[in-house]
Amino acid sequence: MNYNLNKPYKKIKGRRRVLASLQKLFTIIGKERRNLIVAFVAILLNAGLSLLGPYLLGYTIDAHVQTKNYQGVLIFAGILLVIYISAYILNYVQIRMMGGIGQRMLFRLRNSVFEKLQELPLDFFNQNKAGDLISRINNDTDKLNQFFSQSLMQFIRNLIIMVGAGIFLLAINLPLGLATLSPTLLLLIFTISVSPWIRRKNEATLKSLGNLSAEVQEGLANFKVVVAFNRRDYFRKRLKDANRENYKKSIRAGIANSILSPIYTFASNIGQLIVLSLGIWLIIQGRFSVGLLISFIAYVSNFYNPLRQIANLWASFQLTLAAWDRISHLLSLKSNLPIIESMNDTFGSSLIHFRNVSFSYPTGEEVLKDVSFDLQRGKTYAFVGPTGGGKTTTASLISRLYDVTKGTILLDGKDIRSYTACERASKVGFILQDPILFTGTIRENILYGNSECGALTNEQLEKELGNAQLLNLLKPFEKGLETPIEMSGDSISLGQKQIIAFMRAILRKPELLILDEATANIDTVTEKQLEIILNNLPISTTKVIIAHRLNTIKNADEIFFVNSQRIIAAGSFDEALNMLMSEKGES
Amino acid sequence: MNRNNIQSEPEKEKNTNLFGVLKPYKGMVSMLVIIAMTASGINLVIPKIIGSAIDAFSANNFDIVKVITQFLLAATGIFIFTALQGVLQTFTAERVARDLRNKIVAKLSHQSLSFIIGSNPSKLLTNLTSDMDSVKTFVAQAFVAIISSFFVIIGVAVLMLMINLKLALAVLGIVPIIGTAFYIVFWKARNIFRKSRQVIDALNKIINESILGAALIRVLNSQQPENQKFLEKNMESRNLGLSIVRLFSILVPSIMFVSNLAIVLILALGGHYVVMDTMTIGDFAAFNSYVVMLIFPVMLIGFMSNVIASATASNERIQSILSTPPPQEEGTIKSEVKGNILLKNVSLTYEDKPILKNVSFSVKAGSKTAIIGPTAAGKSQLLYLLTNLIPADSGTIEMDGISIDKYARETLYKDVGLVFQDSVLFNMSLEENIGFSDSVTEEALQKAIETAELSNFIESLPQKLETIVSERGSSLSGGQKQRIMLARALTLNPNILLLDDFTARVDQKTEDRILANIQSNYPDLTLISITQKIEPVKDFDQILLLMGGEIIASGQHKDLMKRSPEYIQIYKSQQSTEQYEL
Repeated sequence: MNYNLNKPYKKIKGRRRVLASLQKLFTIIGKERRNLIVAFVAILLNAGLSLLGPYLLGYTIDAHVQTKNYQGVLIFAGILLVIYISAYILNYVQIRMMGGIGQRMLFRLRNSVFEKLQELPLDFFNQNKAGDLISRINNDTDKLNQFFSQSLMQFIRNLIIMVGAGIFLLAINLPLGLATLSPTLLLLIFTISVSPWIRRKNEATLKSLGNLSAEVQEGLANFKVVVAFNRRDYFRKRLKDANRENYKKSIRAGIANSILSPIYTFASNIGQLIVLSLGIWLIIQGRFSVGLLISFIAYVSNFYNPLRQIANLWASFQLTLAAWDRISHLLSLKSNLPIIESMNDTFGSSLIHFRNVSFSYPTGEEVLKDVSFDLQRGKTYAFVGPTGGGKTTTASLISRLYDVTKGTILLDGKDIRSYTACERASKVGFILQDPILFTGTIRENILYGNSECGALTNEQLEKELGNAQLLNLLKPFEKGLETPIEMSGDSISLGQKQIIAFMRAILRKPELLILDEATANIDTVTEKQLEIILNNLPISTTKVIIAHRLNTIKNADEIFFVNSQRIIAAGSFDEALNMLMSEKGES
Repeated sequence: MNRNNIQSEPEKEKNTNLFGVLKPYKGMVSMLVIIAMTASGINLVIPKIIGSAIDAFSANNFDIVKVITQFLLAATGIFIFTALQGVLQTFTAERVARDLRNKIVAKLSHQSLSFIIGSNPSKLLTNLTSDMDSVKTFVAQAFVAIISSFFVIIGVAVLMLMINLKLALAVLGIVPIIGTAFYIVFWKARNIFRKSRQVIDALNKIINESILGAALIRVLNSQQPENQKFLEKNMESRNLGLSIVRLFSILVPSIMFVSNLAIVLILALGGHYVVMDTMTIGDFAAFNSYVVMLIFPVMLIGFMSNVIASATASNERIQSILSTPPPQEEGTIKSEVKGNILLKNVSLTYEDKPILKNVSFSVKAGSKTAIIGPTAAGKSQLLYLLTNLIPADSGTIEMDGISIDKYARETLYKDVGLVFQDSVLFNMSLEENIGFSDSVTEEALQKAIETAELSNFIESLPQKLETIVSERGSSLSGGQKQRIMLARALTLNPNILLLDDFTARVDQKTEDRILANIQSNYPDLTLISITQKIEPVKDFDQILLLMGGEIIASGQHKDLMKRSPEYIQIYKSQQSTEQYEL
């Protein structure tokens, strides 16, 4: 499956695409329906009040100030005050509501994007860069928030005022009203035709921001090598290039976004000219008066001012759509590891059974070809073979990090694809080649993903560790379980990380434990201790040891030789040695 | 190693002026302001043209051609100037962001490794993306609006003061009220924005760790705790966002309300003056139109306060990076590092924990040294010291009799090749990953590839050396990555090669071949190798046994077997299988 978010995917063309992607957005907004309605009502009332205010003011001046009726002035000042107080409340409601909607949408969107990441298989992470994904979760979603909390409100408000003013103008004088509205038709056509272009430009900017973020991420994560190889210039260059690209794309998007405003302004000025000319012509025809024309032109600005505002808002709407596109693309991805229906009957008694398994990575490289073998309960197996031979891949298939391309893997007699992730994880333990610890404490890391022991106090946990003979391994850490851990950086050594990862796996008491060179960086004395711990695991525990240090595999019940797309059982330890020795060429 | 100090240091509360970011762009910015002013100036002409056209029409000397010409001229002028303003605004904002980013990158690129780790890469990522975005928004949207608003406010204030002092003072009384409210809210908002940026840093980190740990999360089926971790921080982010909304949902309507009060005030007070005949109806009307002109910019500043507060918080974070002192100056000595190494009483602590204690030893050029010792004995740190990746807390490290920090970086890193324990790969071609230096020759590259036993592997790839390595090298096996790391160091043709547990991920047979290759292809190399296995290093010139940060024994294998019980214990732990090692 193609999980690369930056490769073009099948696009639905034109308006249908806009509608399809908007539909999804609406389902996310759906939960805010009540708040949206309240906000809309507030915006509507507020827009009405903001038209009413100037009208009342004009009336008061005409009717009371000019006639020097101070009583009337005070009364209307009072009425205005009431209007402004109401506007105050309505403003508050609308900003609070829309801002809240924006924040909660942001919250939900970020959650759903993050949850989507967790749902997707390892393949997805091999094809995408961390920095780009971070940018999608943090930056793109924020574009939507900004639109909802700021632009949408103004957009609707202006639209309401504009429509209201338009109807009003049409009602006063139909020909002049039509003349007023005439430029909008052209603007409408123009806007519809340039919008996809504006959106594309914005999409390109967001993409380049994602790239920049990916470069920053990689450059900083690999800074060690940058320093040790004195390639600080390289670090600067990569980031500068990405920055320049983002600059270019942003300039283009910025210009695309700012193009609407002058055109809308120009159109509204031309509109005023048309109204003026037509008005004068109507007066000459005797169908209109100068006084009416003056007030008509005064009202016209109520139509054109919001129109000009909409120009900028429309551009930010295009940016929002572009951001939404990137998010919705990610959200539309599905895991390629679905859980299939489980069959009732089980096959055989092996814990693991590979039946004619072939596997290739999405890059096309075939790692296993028509491989069959069995792993029996309670036995210890060793997988040996040259680097790059397929040992880790085989172990990954047993933990279902990937699915086989052909054939079947049975776990406990049933297709491994029929287990829920939870069932599988409790049966299969896999200590990865690169130990992974999360930032936190040793305790948190040992208990990571372990629901059984999660609630134990430190004392209880230590007792539990003691039962598993793991407690000694904690000794070198001065602060014991509460020793702080950083995922990156060198606060603890690789060997220590491997020890913690080892403890984490043992404590989960899996039925099948795979150790993928899990002790490679641990000194041989400590390694002996780990060996004893492994030997004391319950007798039913099946162990798969991947290693090239032969002492770690000499106790194996059976040795599999993994290379050149095959997995062959070696009859004895010596035979395995022979295979390793006679293995021709290079891994 | 003061990593912790850097990390725990609270964000400096600097009073960085947001407008300071525009200083280097005086020319562009003044042009922008002039253009914006001109555009709004011409805007005022349109009503004038309409007014005089109607007047002329009433006076019966209406010239349609003249009106249309004037109108079109004005409209075209506005079009050109607003378009220019848009373009210039974009350019200014993007330039500011681009240059700031480049400055940060340049700054970071000169820093030490411990600085980068200590200042938290997740935060640096936010600095270069979200923080930059909010400064950009300020320049693109808020800056011109604020400047022109101030001009309009001052202009209108002068006009009002000229018409009627008392009424003008009463109306202008709203300005300090609004100013105070604005300042209070702005101050509070800036603090919240600061916190919310820190939460974004934390979100970045959680996302990044969940990506790095993707395989483990799937093996353990621990998506739920990951989601929970993210949810908690995200909730914090939402709550901060909501408190900002709360602040501005009070500030913005308040500003609007106070401005509207001015209208009521004019109506009531001005109306009173008109009734009392101390003000003409014309002046009253003028006052009314001026106040409308005054309100709009005041409200605009209110709307922009959000942008300003957010940009101020971001700018502070950016400036605090830019103001970090430059790291220790690099040395100037450029003589070749041959490989005579001398360590005298070198100590190193990390977070108050001693890592290395009084380590002293010497290595002769061309010799082979092995470092053996238990996990976390300080072995890797010793190699870091030898490459000046981290400075020692006390003691001296000399190469050919010259202190290591006196060497120019280019010299040191050209002559000392370090193979890290963990694999560090870039998302670029194999060729670029291996030849990670600008001075690599084709010949050196080929020699390094052959020595690291990578030739057959590369041959087997359809795109050979052009094959792109995926981020974090996820497309390669552990042993392949390790050998790429070795080849990368070898392309430098170093005089000193430092191997950090290189053999851990490579099978015995390949390892033997690689060691033999090094011997024949790089005969004069000074080798220091951290290893777990004694067998391959039995004939080395020197074996150092490092335990708990101290060298407890050193010498050749034969010596150590005679006098070091710890060494013998390690040796015995490997003995049972030694016969099988190939």
